[in-house]
Amino acid sequence: MTQSKAHFEFKDIHVEVEGKEVVKGVSLTINHGEIHAIMGPNGSGKSSLSNALMGHPNYTITSGEARLDGKNLLEMSADERSRAGLFLAFQYPLAIPGVTVANFLRAALKSHRGKDADMSDFRKLLKAEMSDLSVDPSFATRYLNDGFSGGEKKRVEILQMSMLKPKMALLDETDSGLDIDALKTVADGINRYHNDQNAILLVTHYQRLLNYVKPDFVHVMMNGQFAKSGGPELALKLEESGYDWVEKEVLQKAEV
Amino acid sequence: MTTMNKTDVEYTIPEVTPELERGPVWLRDQRRASREAFNVAEVPPRGLHLWRYTDPKTFLYDRDAVADTAYSENYDIVEKIELDNLKNGNIAALATDLGGRDIKLNGADELAKQGVVLSSLSSAVEHHHELVENYLYRLVNARTGKFEAMNGALWNDGIFVYVPDGVTVDKPIHLLRESGLARSSQFPRLLVVVGKNAELTLIDEYGGGSLDENEGISHANGAVEIFGLEDSRTRYVMLQRQASAMKLYLTHRAQIERGASMLTVPLAFGALLSKENFGVTLNGEGADSNMYGLLFGSGYQHFDNHTLHHHAADNTSSNIDFKVVLKDRSHSAYTGLIRIDNDARTCQAYQENRNLLLNEGVRADTIPELEILNEDVQCSHGATIGPMDPESVFYLEARGIERDEAIRMIVSGFVDHTLKTVPDDLRQRIGTFVAQRLERI
Repeated sequence: MTQSKAHFEFKDIHVEVEGKEVVKGVSLTINHGEIHAIMGPNGSGKSSLSNALMGHPNYTITSGEARLDGKNLLEMSADERSRAGLFLAFQYPLAIPGVTVANFLRAALKSHRGKDADMSDFRKLLKAEMSDLSVDPSFATRYLNDGFSGGEKKRVEILQMSMLKPKMALLDETDSGLDIDALKTVADGINRYHNDQNAILLVTHYQRLLNYVKPDFVHVMMNGQFAKSGGPELALKLEESGYDWVEKEVLQKAEV
Repeated sequence: MTTMNKTDVEYTIPEVTPELERGPVWLRDQRRASREAFNVAEVPPRGLHLWRYTDPKTFLYDRDAVADTAYSENYDIVEKIELDNLKNGNIAALATDLGGRDIKLNGADELAKQGVVLSSLSSAVEHHHELVENYLYRLVNARTGKFEAMNGALWNDGIFVYVPDGVTVDKPIHLLRESGLARSSQFPRLLVVVGKNAELTLIDEYGGGSLDENEGISHANGAVEIFGLEDSRTRYVMLQRQASAMKLYLTHRAQIERGASMLTVPLAFGALLSKENFGVTLNGEGADSNMYGLLFGSGYQHFDNHTLHHHAADNTSSNIDFKVVLKDRSHSAYTGLIRIDNDARTCQAYQENRNLLLNEGVRADTIPELEILNEDVQCSHGATIGPMDPESVFYLEARGIERDEAIRMIVSGFVDHTLKTVPDDLRQRIGTFVAQRLERI
């Protein structure tokens, strides 16, 4: 197997939801240690892209390629993609009544490692990670996301990421619904996780998370396509001027 | 046709049976009245309320065609587990009831030191006749219905539990009711009286029965009466794990007085066909009743369950959470009635029935019923029937958990809240019933 330098790459991805094409051919290459951000207005297809890459049953990838460390992700089921090192922090994490946070994480770790974690090691790890993310220890025995506030759900998504230590993390609107303190806590968690062996793709509507988690590259998504790519300065410009100017640029290009 | 097929003849109880001759005069009178009511009562028509989903003729059988029976060897395995539980101090006592024919008691002497009675009904008729005469047949009797009358006439022996005023039985009392093998019939009966400000946890486990339809069906028709006197606290767990060629009819009625609380946990995993009816009357101010039901159907099992919460006094509260999981070709019908009397003010009543369908080909019916004769109440009911949410499965898969395991975790989660109401050592055994049914999905 030839391994390209690229850590995570996808090419010409098309995604359909209920028969309608919502992602119309996007490509991206992410190298080890990089942080990329996809920004865009609501309905631009950025959440559809991240859900489809993870293998959500409602999002069908009709054509394209996606590889993680050279392995073809699109041949894998969602659980195989996870075990291959892909992670998606959900925009709207579902409640799973009757399944505690601790049991859920233990089952997830077991599936990743192929064996049960030692109980006391697991408890120690969970306790430390929860403390770092300012998640109350009582959450371990609560049912997953059941009755959690928006901010608590997002913190527990990042908790899952820090426990599973994926090679590639897709973070879908992880900043939405967070107050400023929670935003900082979550951003600290993301920064602690990040190193030169993994990579992050942030999907976000607003620039504010990018004040704390610094992207190397920013891509603007509109109407299911990448309209523009640039460095972190692009995010700031979007924050100041909104998305309209990008749209105009795209239209002008189309006219030329 | 010159000869009638025996199965076409409706069974009537003959004038003389060994049971009808048993006991003191008051008891023989009750039995004869029950016999008369059974013989006179028509078979309920299929269209009638509560009989839409199960053919009443299922429960009519000539019990005289049934001789004494053998019992499955498996019952000693469970008996042994519970005897170990007794030895280890997990339960206070164990009563084993073989088809109402033979009743064995373990730990009853120790309970007697507190004044608590655990005995056969026949012995209680002799030694505690005032209590038994006062309470037996008060809630389930000849007027309740045809099949309740059948039990009332034909029960051979049963179990009696009495907790005196102010006494707390701090560990569960376990009843193991074993049905006989193919072509047997039994009429289990239970009477429980929990005194004022007394406390009891009772586990009523129904096992055994015919293992093979080709060898013949076995039948049970059970009656349970529970009285919770003022300020008493009663927990009643009914575990039904009867064998696969068993048909069961069971009527449970409880009545709780002022300030009393009652927890009822009907758990059903077994029997080919079962029709179980659980009812609690809140008969005194401030009485509180909770029911947490769970059934898990597989194969061709048919479950027909009713619950009743009858508010007969002011400021009473009730809550029902009845959960159903179905796989293969199983069927569940659930009818839940909340009745609030005209003169029962400021009551609260809630009822929820959730049905989780694990594959196509299963069927769930849910019929909530409200009879509210008083406007000063808070009442709500809800029901859901549906397959497992694919998004929930995806969430677990996205964390690396394989699909089958994800489904197992979600079903276990669905039943977790109910099983939390069950004492620890029993919960482990019930957990294995759930796990066995989730092995192939």
